[in-house]
Amino acid sequence: MKYLSEYRDPKVARGLIAEIKRAATRRWVLMEVCGGQTHTIVKQGLDELLDDAVEMVHGPGCPVCVTPLEQIDKALALASRPDVIFTSFGDMLRVPGSDCDLLQVRARGGTVRIVYSPLDALELARKNPDNEVVFFAVGFETTAPANAMAVWRAKELGVKNFSVLVSHVTVPPAMVALLESPDNRVQGFLAAGHVCTIMGWTEYEPIAAKYKVPIVVTGFEPLDILEGMLLAVRQLEEGRHEVENQYVRSVRRDGNQPAQDLVSRVFELVDRNWRGIGPIPRSGLGVRAEFADFDAERRFALEGIHTAEPEICRAGDVLRGVLKPFDCPAFGTMCTPEHPLGAPMVSSEGACAAYYNYGRFRSAV
Amino acid sequence: MCLGIPGRIVEVHDTQGLPMGVVDFGGVRREVCLAYVADQIKPGDYAIVHVGFAISKVDEKEAKRTFEVLREMSQLDELEWMQDLTP
Amino acid sequence: MTTTCPIPIATAERVQLGHGSGGKMSAALVRERFLPLFRNDILGQLGDAAIVDVAGQSLAISTDTFVVQPLEFPGGNIGSLAVHGTVNDLAMMGAQPCWLSAGFVLEEGLSFDVLDRVVQSMADAAREARVLLVAGDTKVVERGKADGIFINTTGVGLRPADFSPAPARAQPGDAVIVSGPIGRHGIAIMTAREGLAFEAEVTSDSAALTPLVNALRERVGDAVHTLRDPTRGGVASTLNEIAAAAGIGIVLEEHLLPIPGPVAAACEMLGFDPLYVANEGLLVAFVPDAQADDAVHALRSHPLGRAATRIGRCVREHPGMVVLSTGIGGTRVVDMLPGDQLPRIC
Repeated sequence: MKYLSEYRDPKVARGLIAEIKRAATRRWVLMEVCGGQTHTIVKQGLDELLDDAVEMVHGPGCPVCVTPLEQIDKALALASRPDVIFTSFGDMLRVPGSDCDLLQVRARGGTVRIVYSPLDALELARKNPDNEVVFFAVGFETTAPANAMAVWRAKELGVKNFSVLVSHVTVPPAMVALLESPDNRVQGFLAAGHVCTIMGWTEYEPIAAKYKVPIVVTGFEPLDILEGMLLAVRQLEEGRHEVENQYVRSVRRDGNQPAQDLVSRVFELVDRNWRGIGPIPRSGLGVRAEFADFDAERRFALEGIHTAEPEICRAGDVLRGVLKPFDCPAFGTMCTPEHPLGAPMVSSEGACAAYYNYGRFRSAV
Repeated sequence: MCLGIPGRIVEVHDTQGLPMGVVDFGGVRREVCLAYVADQIKPGDYAIVHVGFAISKVDEKEAKRTFEVLREMSQLDELEWMQDLTP
Repeated sequence: MTTTCPIPIATAERVQLGHGSGGKMSAALVRERFLPLFRNDILGQLGDAAIVDVAGQSLAISTDTFVVQPLEFPGGNIGSLAVHGTVNDLAMMGAQPCWLSAGFVLEEGLSFDVLDRVVQSMADAAREARVLLVAGDTKVVERGKADGIFINTTGVGLRPADFSPAPARAQPGDAVIVSGPIGRHGIAIMTAREGLAFEAEVTSDSAALTPLVNALRERVGDAVHTLRDPTRGGVASTLNEIAAAAGIGIVLEEHLLPIPGPVAAACEMLGFDPLYVANEGLLVAFVPDAQADDAVHALRSHPLGRAATRIGRCVREHPGMVVLSTGIGGTRVVDMLPGDQLPRIC
């Protein structure tokens, strides 16, 4: 596939790996923010191949993992209603709430449908005027423009039976929270290439300056990740701390203006409770008052939702990069993809699932 | 986050005022919303698509340049490695 | 920053779709809820078909139920699938498929046009596979209770004394061979399913594999240690089952996997791994390394096996585990999935 396969060239990858090893005079600690980047790193064994030069800690860049428990519980409540067709991206279906997950709600009789695009959910609403269609609008800044468009179009076309349950989160506040944490060990970041495709990279400049960390906007294919790591290591070796763009084929400094505009017309910044991390002020998106009819939280009475928060899994520590999945006492024993304790084990982008599915071999051999 | 893959715009059309298009991903085709790239994109161009929306136009010049730079770097590397071997 | 955690999911108290996906949940369901009650050595083999001896002749018996949605898809329909699926299960145990029975559960309101097309496909498939449909049953259930049609087929075949492939016979040193391109059926189904709405030049590979098995048997005989058709759960699940049954490790080479362009592209879009996508006209064969080239040639001599190729080998290390070697020099575990792959945005 053009503009994809070339960035998987094994020969070039081996060259980059050698170059990174040559450039690093000590072992640096880098964090890749995005779950898709974690996936590539673990799938290709990049962290294993670069272990002496770089320690990769996996950040909270998996919207599925960090979706607050309350929002999952609201989703489960809505999906259980007989008049509701609950629509969602596929990866949310197995994320555990306080009591069960969407797949189990479906087993009990709820109507839960997977869609690829939020516009498909809107179309479903138009085709089923006698049902309420709710779409689980989850994601980082990358997905917000798509979700915003679904709401915008619903209003434009006068669709009366469509609403969204929003659980959007934004990256920069989370990065700052991580950097402010006393046990932070991360020295450089690979920023999420598709988040920055929408937002550009201006928000990261003050962060790089204040905390003196290099931030390299990076893509998702093996060559992208490796080049991003190389640029970060070079900055660290040279004592620089700038924002650099590796993912030049998609990211521009100001990002995608029309997308940002529609997002700010439909959504507004709100405080968000990140699962496993805790509340981070002004780190999420909520629906603006003008679109209240399309906000599932305002449209449906969602009382009586008891969110239980006992502490058994270490998802929080994994998401903050403080703990590696295999250092967690529950990893692979009590907590596996079939019986996940926390979202990082459920989501195919979650660090724990990635390690479980791809990494067990290392401990076996 | 953000599974976004590059595809080629095959055709553009308008669905009740919303710019839409058909995008070809290496033999697979899907309808994609082009609202966020409408002013830059035409059939034949490549775009990064996430959840059925084009979020950026692939800068083909930059893409080529990046790849050439990377490939050069790796070839240089092979040369150096071979030099280490010759007595 | 505080860290909090979700409470563990209690073990499912009901059947879920994942229990039918061919992955770990399916295996657990059979192991925990069925096997203990039907305890016998033949069932315990958990092969594609059961082998019983009747007066010195080995018979293979297999059953399969088809619930595919949509009923019709590029490259076939539930009818042709119902014949191919059971014929293949028999063939994978080395038997020559001879007779089929078919049980139909029809939903009230099903169009006769659809039914006729499905039955015609079944008849065509049976004729091509040289099996006779000798017994049948039909029931009709109320609207909403059967998704159009469910079909169960049970097959009986005759196994020659000198040919007995079985999962447990795979050994270190065996080559792992696949008979053609992977991932076609699952993606063809996806393209026909509402909700994901994409077009791809992909048709199901649904086909009877008997000619391929015969070609292998003629060329290398009982050196064929194991045969399996990787249906739901894909090549990855099948290889995991064999690795576990035989107590061996398997190493796959990423660059050898034959994945057609459109299948790869569709998988990229959905975030799927082709190794877990269903196939219906594909077999994996375990043959000692020394005879592997012959086996591949034998497969390639038939149109269905034109793209046959080695994809890996069996090893003594990491028994029960399947591992993939990437082009860059890294390795990763190819585990069995708990349930179905879910399209992801991340």
